Amino acid sequence: MGLASAAATFFAVWLGHVSVRKIEREVEGLWIPALLALSVGIGLELASLLSPSLVLSTVFGIVGVTLLWDALELYRQQKRIEHGHAPANPQNPRHANILARHPKATTLDWLDRDPRGVPFTADELRAITEGTK
Amino acid sequence: MNWFGISVGVATLFIIGLGFIWVIRGERYFGFLWWPYVMGAGVLFVISSIFISNHYVSALVGAWGASLLWGSTELKEQAVRGELGWYPFRYGKILPPLVKIIRKWKAPSL
Repeated sequence: MGLASAAATFFAVWLGHVSVRKIEREVEGLWIPALLALSVGIGLELASLLSPSLVLSTVFGIVGVTLLWDALELYRQQKRIEHGHAPANPQNPRHANILARHPKATTLDWLDRDPRGVPFTADELRAITEGTK
Repeated sequence: MNWFGISVGVATLFIIGLGFIWVIRGERYFGFLWWPYVMGAGVLFVISSIFISNHYVSALVGAWGASLLWGSTELKEQAVRGELGWYPFRYGKILPPLVKIIRKWKAPSL
């Protein structure tokens, strides 16, 4: 049982993590994938409820709730784009709009670097931002 | 009606939510270089879940192990977030044993 729940948890989180970022970046109307995640999530919870097998019920239950969470994460990811904490995609009209209206939004991926052990100073942060303009 | 999966699912959601907290706090006080130990602990929890006969306990220990495994791959990015000023940064982190060897390894990030 533990192995099934571990595998379901790890892969659902991994897949959710990667696909939320990718889908939010590419899709213009966020409500479509959000509604899809919501419906499939509810469907999996129903399947979990009706499944006679404990292993299947566990896997459906875990993957279902992570999908429900992913529906919410799509909008949280949009907030990260607005704050510049995740890179915007100028080819996506929704992101282009965010880039125009939110001064902190950027195409720069701040997290694409290794930790160096000391915080960045305001000057260093400014230099990094200006380097991408 | 089989409520087993849904209750395990909801509990797993809380375990994952706990992951947000310990990754942030853990990185702040201990630093991301603990990642091999966290990963090892995750593997140990997953393996030990196989030997637990109570279905609920086994499923939750497995989910907790998987969450530790996942968290170990998040620590590096969290360290960068701290350095960028998105989260409070703390000097004088408590470094793990064998830190010199761990520094030579590439920290995972999925």
